[in-house]
Amino acid sequence: MLITGIKSKPVYAPLQTDTRGRYHLMLAMGAGAAPLLRVIAEMRVVAGPSLKNTRVLFVSDAAAPEVEQFKAATVADLQTFPSTPALLERFRAILQKSLMGTRLYVAGPESFIGLAMKIALEFNLNKDEIRAEECGTLARRVYCIHCRATTEDVRTNIVSCIGCGRWLLVRDHYSRRLAAYMGVMVDAEAPGELPPLKEVFL
Amino acid sequence: MSAVFKPEETFRGDFNYSNSPQAVRRFPLPFAEDNYMYSVNIEPHLPGPLGSVTEFAFDVDEHYVAECRERAIVLATEPLRYQAMPHMMSSQWDCLELIMESLAHDYPAHFSLAKQGNRWHWINRPLEIDQHFTFGDTATLPREPLDYITRQAQGDFVVMDQREGDLWCEAGMVTTQADWSLDFDLGMTFKEWHGPVPLAHELQVFDRALKFLLNLRLGQPVRRLNWTMTINPRLDTSPENYPQWGTDRAAVTAQNAGDLVHLRVELQGLWRLPRSNAVVFGIRCYLISLRQLATVPKWARRVHRVLKDLHPALVDYKGLTRYRDAAVQWLAPFDDGSPTTSGTAPE
Amino acid sequence: MNDAQTITVEVIGVEQVTPLIKHFKLAPAAGGSLPVFSGGSHIIVVMQGAGRVHKNPYSLLGSPLALDTYEIGVRRMEESRGGSHFMHDAVEVGSRLEIAHPVNLFGLDKIARKHVLIAGGIGITPFLAQLEDLHGGSVPYELHYSVRSSEHAAFLQRLQRREGERLHVYYDSEGQTIAFETLLATQPLGTHVYVCGPVGMIKHVIATAQSCGWPDSHIHWEQFSAPPVGDAFEVFLARSKLSVHVPPDQSLLESIEAAGVEVPYLCRGGVCGFCHTRVLELDGELVHNDHFLSEADKAKAKSIMPCVSRANCKRLVLDL
Ligand code: HEM
Ligand code: FES
Repeated sequence: MLITGIKSKPVYAPLQTDTRGRYHLMLAMGAGAAPLLRVIAEMRVVAGPSLKNTRVLFVSDAAAPEVEQFKAATVADLQTFPSTPALLERFRAILQKSLMGTRLYVAGPESFIGLAMKIALEFNLNKDEIRAEECGTLARRVYCIHCRATTEDVRTNIVSCIGCGRWLLVRDHYSRRLAAYMGVMVDAEAPGELPPLKEVFL
Repeated sequence: MSAVFKPEETFRGDFNYSNSPQAVRRFPLPFAEDNYMYSVNIEPHLPGPLGSVTEFAFDVDEHYVAECRERAIVLATEPLRYQAMPHMMSSQWDCLELIMESLAHDYPAHFSLAKQGNRWHWINRPLEIDQHFTFGDTATLPREPLDYITRQAQGDFVVMDQREGDLWCEAGMVTTQADWSLDFDLGMTFKEWHGPVPLAHELQVFDRALKFLLNLRLGQPVRRLNWTMTINPRLDTSPENYPQWGTDRAAVTAQNAGDLVHLRVELQGLWRLPRSNAVVFGIRCYLISLRQLATVPKWARRVHRVLKDLHPALVDYKGLTRYRDAAVQWLAPFDDGSPTTSGTAPE
Repeated sequence: MNDAQTITVEVIGVEQVTPLIKHFKLAPAAGGSLPVFSGGSHIIVVMQGAGRVHKNPYSLLGSPLALDTYEIGVRRMEESRGGSHFMHDAVEVGSRLEIAHPVNLFGLDKIARKHVLIAGGIGITPFLAQLEDLHGGSVPYELHYSVRSSEHAAFLQRLQRREGERLHVYYDSEGQTIAFETLLATQPLGTHVYVCGPVGMIKHVIATAQSCGWPDSHIHWEQFSAPPVGDAFEVFLARSKLSVHVPPDQSLLESIEAAGVEVPYLCRGGVCGFCHTRVLELDGELVHNDHFLSEADKAKAKSIMPCVSRANCKRLVLDL
C-alpha cells in the first residue's frame, strides 16, 4: 500500500494575481495574510489605488496587526471572523450572489484551504477559478475509512480515530470532496504492532 | 456457457467456494508472458470464443447467484458501498439499459426483457425477480436504477462523468473490490483516484489511458485485465473492512498457501453510455486458489515466475509483502524451468 | 469506419427550412431503431459521391430519445469539401447513406448551475437536442439565437413553442445584435456558456467571456475533430505495393482506405494509437497532428498516425 507520493495529494503554488478575473475574493487564516497582502500589492500595480472588486475575509481577531496592513493596502471590503466556521458561512453567502468572473484566492493551513474548496466545489468553481497557497500548520483532517469519522488537526503519522478509536495510518491519498486524507487501520494485519508515534505534519 | 449455479457458495465465514473444472479452464489468466509490468493493456471488447469469459458483454457464471447474495449482505450493513451523485441519474438509466439488454440477449434462459415504449418488463429467473417499471421513472423501481441492476450483476461498477477533459468518478456499486474505496474516491478525477498506484504515472500509463477513454466510442467498448492476490476466496477486500481481513495475510505459510492464496483477476470493461455521454467501468472479479491454478501446468510455472520476479513496488502496492515468499515456495515444485508458450491458453 | 460500425439509413424526409439549410430525416434502412444519443452529439455521414467518398460530421438535432429517426440540418457551404453540396443536390427521399455511431464533443456540463446557449444560423442544430435534455430539468438556461433574417431562422417555430421566454432571437436584417458584454458580465457563478455558429461569432464570444473574467473551463464551443486539410502528397504502401494519392481535403487514412487497404483504428482523432503506422522512407517532413506520439517519437519521424497526420514530401513509404 502506497503511503506517501500519492498523486491525489494537492500541490500548492505561491499565490499570483489572476489578471483575467474581474472580481477577487480572498480568504485567509493566520499566516495566510502575508500571501494575500503580497497579491494585493501586485494587483495595485495594475489596478491603481482603488481595489473595488476585491474582498478579503480573514480569520483573526479584529486587533491583529494584519488587519491594519489590509486597511493600509486600501482593501475596501475587509471582514474579520473569530473562527473558520464563521468565515465559511459568510463565504457561502457571498458565493450565492457572486457572478462569473470571480476568482478565489485562499491562503492558510491546508485544512482551511480544503474546507473552503469543498464549498467552492458546490458552486461549480473549477480549478482555473481557484488559487491556493499553503502556509501555517501541515496538520491534517483524516477521514477514517472504517467508521467515516473525520479526526481534525492530526500532526502525527498515526492517530487514534475520534470515532472508533482504531489507530489509523495517515496516507497521502486526498479527497477534495471530503477535504480530508485517508486513514487506514495501521495494525489490521498484526494487531497491536504499532509503528513509533512521530510528529510529521507540523 | 450454460453454467449450473452454486447458490450455496460463500465468500466469507466458511468460504465454501471453488471453481468447477470448466470454470478453471476458462479462467482469465492475465499473464501472456513470464513477467508482468503495468502497460496500457486495452483492447476492443469483442466477443471471445464460445464459452470464454469474453463470449458476452457481461459474463454470468456458476458463481452468479452466490455473488449477488454476497453483495446484498455487504449492502445490508454498509449502504454507502453504493453511491451516486444527483447529476448521474441519466447515466444510471443508461447502465440499467446496457446490463438488462445484454443479459436478456445473451442469456435468454435466465433473463428476459420486454418493452412497450417506456413500459418495461424484466425477469431474472435465477434470482426470482419479476419487475414491471417505466424506463426513466425512478419511482417505479424499488431502488435507484444503478443500485437496482447492479445488485443483479456480478462484479463492481463505477460510472464516470466526462467534463473538463477528464473523467470524474461520480457513481458506483463497489462491494467486491481489491482494497480501494468508492466512498473515499467519489468525486475524484482519473489521475486522483489512480493516485495510489506506483510506477504507472511515471510510465505515462494514465496519461495515455485517459486520452483513450475520453474518446471512447458508443458501440465500441474496450476491456483490460488487472490482477492482485487475495487470501481466501473473499470478495469484499475493501479498505472499509480491512480490520476484518487484514490478519488473514499473516496466516499464510508455504504449506497452506495453495489453499489460502487466491489469484484475483479483474476483467474490466468500459462502455460509452448513450444518454449521458458518461463512461461505465465494469470490474468483474474471478478468484482461483493456487491449488486449482496449479492444475494447469503452464499456469503454475508462469505464475511462479511472475510472482518471484515481481517489481518490489508492485509487491508492496498489491499487499503481497507478508506472503509472497510463501506463495512462491508453494508454487516452486510445479516449475521445472521448462519454457512456457506465449499467450495465456493452457498448453 | 468499417462496415460493422456504420448503420445504413434511408432518407425519409427532406425539407428546405431556409434558403441555405435543408433538414433531413433519416431512418434505419433495415428497420428497427437507431442508437440513443446525448444532446450535442454529431454523426459522420458517409456519402458515395462521384469519384470520391465524403465523410462529414453533422449535429443530431432531434430528441435523443426518439429512436426511429435521426434529424440533421445541412447548410450549403460555399467552400466546402463537397459533402454539403452532395447532400443538397444529390440526396432526396429514398436515398441511402451510411452513418457512424453518434459522438459527443459538445456535451452540456452536468454540474453547471446555469447554461447560456448562443447560436448563430446553422449553429442552432446541436442545441436542439440539448434543449430536449434541459427542458425537463431543474437547471436554469437561456438560448440566444442570432439569424440573418426571419426567413433564415431555421426551426424557429419549434423553438418558440417549447422555449417561450427562455428564447431570445436576434435578426441581423433589423440591426439586432446580441449584447454579449452585458449578457456575459451578469451571469451567476457556476454558469457555462456554449456557442455554435460562424467562426467569427465563436471567437467573439470566447474573447468577450474571457474579458468578463470567465475561465476557459466554463466556455464551450462545437469543434469537430475532423482531420486538418493540407497539401496533397503521394504515399507508397510497401506491403500492399500500392501508390496512393492524398488530396488536400482527404486524410491519409481515408485515402489509404479508399485504395482498399484496411488500417486498424478506433478514434480517428489522433489519440487512441490504433492506427499507428511505421514510416519506412521519407524525403521531407511529417506533419504530426496527433496527441498520441511523444515529442521525441514525432521528431524521430519513424511513425505516423494517419487518421490526422500528413506529410510535406515527395516520397513517403509506409509499412502497410
Ligand atoms: C475509467 C475507469 C477506471 C476506473 C474507475 C479505475 C479505477 C481504479 C481504482 C479505484 C484503482 C485502485 C487505486 C487504489 O489503489 O486506490 C485502480 C488501479 C489501477 N488502474 Fe484503474 N481504473 C480505470 C481505468 C483504468 C485504465 C483504462 C487503466 C489502463 C491502463 C487502469 C490502470 C490501473 C492500474 C495499472 C492500477 C493498479 C492495479 C494494481 O496493481 O492492482 N485503470 N483503478
Ligand atoms: S485512429 Fe486513433 S490515433 Fe488514429
